[in-house]
Amino acid sequence: MPETCLAIESLSKRFGGFYAVNDLSMDVARGHIHALIGPNGAGKTTFFNLITGVLGADRGRIVFEGETVADARPSRRTLRGMARTFQNIRLFPHLTVLETVMIGEHCRSFPSMWQALGSAVLQRPFGEAREETKMRENALALLGFFGLAEKYDAKAGDLAYGDQRRLEMARALATQPRLLLLDEPAAGMNPQETHALDALIMRIRDRGVTIILVEHDMRLVMGISDRITVLNFGTKIAEGTPAEIQENPAVIEAYLGEDVTL
Amino acid sequence: MIYQQLINGLMLGASYALVAIGYTLIFGVLNLLYFAHGEVFMVGAFVGLFLVLHAGLGIYGALLGAMIACAALGVLSVFVAIRPVPKDRPLAPLISTIGLTIVLQNLAVYFIGGQQLAFPETIRQTLYQLGPVTVSSTQLFILGVALSLMVLLWLFIERTKIGRGIRAVAENHETAALLGVNVNRIVLITFIIGSGIAGIAGVLDGLKNSSISPFMGLGAAVKGLIVMLLGGLGNVPGAMVAGLMLGMIEILSSAYIGTTERDLFSFLILILILLFRPTGLFGTRTAEQR
Amino acid sequence: MFAGLIDNYTQQVLIFTGINVIAAFSFFAPFKTGQVSLGQAGFMAIGAYASAVFTQKFGLPFAVSLPLAALLAGVIGVVVGFPALRIKGIYLLLLTLGFGEIVSVIALSWDYIGGAQGYRNIPFNPRTLGYVLGVVVVLTLFFGRLERSSLGRAMDSIHQDETAAEVMGIDVVRIKLLAFGLGAAIAGLAGALYAHQATYIDSTTFNIMMGVEILTFVVVGGGSTYWGPVVGAVVLSLLPEFLRTLREWLELVPVSATNYFPMNRIYDFLHEFLDFENAKRLIVYGLILMLMMIVRPDGLITRDTLRRLTFARWKTRHA
Repeated sequence: MPETCLAIESLSKRFGGFYAVNDLSMDVARGHIHALIGPNGAGKTTFFNLITGVLGADRGRIVFEGETVADARPSRRTLRGMARTFQNIRLFPHLTVLETVMIGEHCRSFPSMWQALGSAVLQRPFGEAREETKMRENALALLGFFGLAEKYDAKAGDLAYGDQRRLEMARALATQPRLLLLDEPAAGMNPQETHALDALIMRIRDRGVTIILVEHDMRLVMGISDRITVLNFGTKIAEGTPAEIQENPAVIEAYLGEDVTL
Repeated sequence: MIYQQLINGLMLGASYALVAIGYTLIFGVLNLLYFAHGEVFMVGAFVGLFLVLHAGLGIYGALLGAMIACAALGVLSVFVAIRPVPKDRPLAPLISTIGLTIVLQNLAVYFIGGQQLAFPETIRQTLYQLGPVTVSSTQLFILGVALSLMVLLWLFIERTKIGRGIRAVAENHETAALLGVNVNRIVLITFIIGSGIAGIAGVLDGLKNSSISPFMGLGAAVKGLIVMLLGGLGNVPGAMVAGLMLGMIEILSSAYIGTTERDLFSFLILILILLFRPTGLFGTRTAEQR
Repeated sequence: MFAGLIDNYTQQVLIFTGINVIAAFSFFAPFKTGQVSLGQAGFMAIGAYASAVFTQKFGLPFAVSLPLAALLAGVIGVVVGFPALRIKGIYLLLLTLGFGEIVSVIALSWDYIGGAQGYRNIPFNPRTLGYVLGVVVVLTLFFGRLERSSLGRAMDSIHQDETAAEVMGIDVVRIKLLAFGLGAAIAGLAGALYAHQATYIDSTTFNIMMGVEILTFVVVGGGSTYWGPVVGAVVLSLLPEFLRTLREWLELVPVSATNYFPMNRIYDFLHEFLDFENAKRLIVYGLILMLMMIVRPDGLITRDTLRRLTFARWKTRHA
């Protein structure tokens, strides 16, 4: 079993003349909570888009669990075991909470579309298909883990902000990932919510999921990360444990002018 | 011989351009496919015909009357089919304009019947020799009106305050509003201009073909849409140039390939643009598919 | 087939309505994944012409040419579906519109299938009503199951946020192609059924306005659930009949009540207006479309409507 969950080698992405991600190399150890921080515009979300396949890299390699990842389509990468949440929440506005999580389960229950079609057409005339029942039970369990079980019937678009963020995580987790990319999960949260998030992320890690976390909330980052990579203008400027990063002069300088206490 | 075809191409193209202008203006400010625009074109033709036959007006009167009538129709459309319909459901405004299309087309059929009607010659027919080309006065007139209209519109959009307002709204409603532009009023003005021009185009078309029909709107609509896309969504000068181009391409291809195929050609162009250059030949000028 | 039970006129109405329901489903399939197609009339044309060729020129029985024609339409649908994958909104509308027009032009210029004269003498199928009802029932069951299945949910998720769905592992490309091809095949069924009932088709039969009408069936009926296309197609198809019945009721009003102004004017106006000549019927149709989009833009049947109707049964399943 490889020690390194995700290895990035010289990853680069250009937009016109400007490098959003510039020759980035880093390793994420399995079972770690690895944070990616940096001033705004440092290329963190682009990085997530590159890993999940939403964007194609210009140069470099992504190695996930020992295998090079070159799938053009994000859905294939998700099947490999990578999942993510979005910085500006992207839920399905008209689906219920329960249905949202069941979407996450779809790719595992029906790896082939034809299986899904068969199940849809050939189900028993009354009552639901076996897979459907199982999916629903798993989804409810997952919702319970995130404290959303009572709201299973609410429309995703109607939820409170904090609930929406947790729903996104539940949906991502439903795809049974080995690597979870969290894009600013604490954005817009107050201190209590952030503290609860802290515990939640650790419990997710304890389920065996490696986590890469993009965040601006330094208390959260320093509190739970095993390792931190710092980006500025798409380039890695530092990497290390929270303690090392806090002392690092290059990091402090990069954040000068930003309203952040390390 | 080819020069003759070029003139025909220009005339056809001018017609396409004038219709496409309305489509692209309206799409620019509202991100809406104003399906009924082809019928506005048709209404203009009939109003013009009516004015010539029953009010004894000359061609200028017909053109003016058609423009005013269609501009009024544009205003009516806004209040009846556009404003009351919620914009957050993307297909609702489209269906509303489709309903309007059906109403207008069948009002015409109801009042006039399903036949073509002859459009009388209202211009003294003389032939002019310009080098290798022979042009009739009618052709010159149509081209003259169409081209001057396009130039005037271009100046209006680029140089006047309202024109700037239109361009601002096409860019982004919120920003335009923040800059003090009355978005609703601009939308209304856009409809007035687009519809008025379509009305004139209808009369010109009647003059060109010496006949009009209640079903002429649909054909004009399809070609107008192709031209709109070809010129770039929301791009008014683009639509003008693209219209002239398409007209020429059609005439030339029908002369050298065959008449049924000529439509096929235009649709193939549509498909190719959609697949390979959806921003059109000259780029879009609207908040991209929000 | 039902000759003894139902009179010919009613049969015609039922067939016509049924074919519209099938056409509505053909729009609904791609729409479920967010693909709005104005070109379903084009696929109907393909099904119509293909089935006509199969029965009339190849001598195949209708029961064979029907599925064959649908298959052909479906395959072409998948082919068109490929470029449609990365196109959205108005661009997709224009692409599908263009496709429909291209089919019309081909029908106009290809003499093998009649060219400008159209395709005459298509063998009449006396059992059309049976076929139509059968197809309608099968499709309703199918879409009902689809709606309750994970695949159906996946389609809805693609409609609501395609990128998010893709990132959640949903095979967006395959599903969209499936939906598009399915829609095309269903449209092919509708076209084939139509052709063997009307026995004559030409390039103007399946024109833009028909493509537009099909769209309206679903939007008016409600695009979020499978009953929407059914209700929309039925209501809009039967609207002329309904208005005609209104007129007949109007004629029952006693003469004395309408002798004086303004009653006589009102009566004359309504009577004239409800007269079913095509143009007037269509004016009313258009007005109803406009009105619907103001008062009920989500369509007649929405998810909530369904919930309220089936509340009890649903609640017990999820308790």
